[in-house]
Amino acid sequence: MDPLRAQQLAAELEVDMMADMYNRMTQACHRKCVPPHYKDAELSKGESVCLDRCVAKYLEVHERMGKKLTELSLQDEELLRRMQQGTGTA
Amino acid sequence: MAGQISEADQIKQFKEFLGTYNKITENCFLDCIKDFTSREVKPEEMTCSDHCLQKYLKMTQRISMRFQEYHIQQNEALAAKAGLLSAPR
Repeated sequence: MDPLRAQQLAAELEVDMMADMYNRMTQACHRKCVPPHYKDAELSKGESVCLDRCVAKYLEVHERMGKKLTELSLQDEELLRRMQQGTGTA
Repeated sequence: MAGQISEADQIKQFKEFLGTYNKITENCFLDCIKDFTSREVKPEEMTCSDHCLQKYLKMTQRISMRFQEYHIQQNEALAAKAGLLSAPR
């Protein structure tokens, strides 16, 4: 795959990933912060503050997960490479 | 701001709207409709679902705001880093 096409594809995939992440975040924070009572149409102060915190935390966790996953997959790649080298020189 | 939104984007936007519509309906139905002894939606259930809808929309607005703020912050941080790395005049 030529590098320009690969870059384009990566960008598209990232946009899709962000959209998916946003939807999941909305769902999660809704569940965590808005109790299903609906006595009032307005968001209470507590709910509002909870939502702010929820978004901040979700995004932090998301970033952390990304870093950890990248680390782990690089480790796997390295291990695989070493194994292949080992069998190559046999 | 672009006045013209491409047709493909318009379709995508509308699809998303329909998805949100379905999600809200399901969500508020699950949370508000509890009485199945009759076919009619009770007035309390109607009030509950009205509130549910309004609350959901307010919630998504707030989340969207915070999400944008976060990204603006991230971009500023990146720009600052890039500024530090680029050669001074």
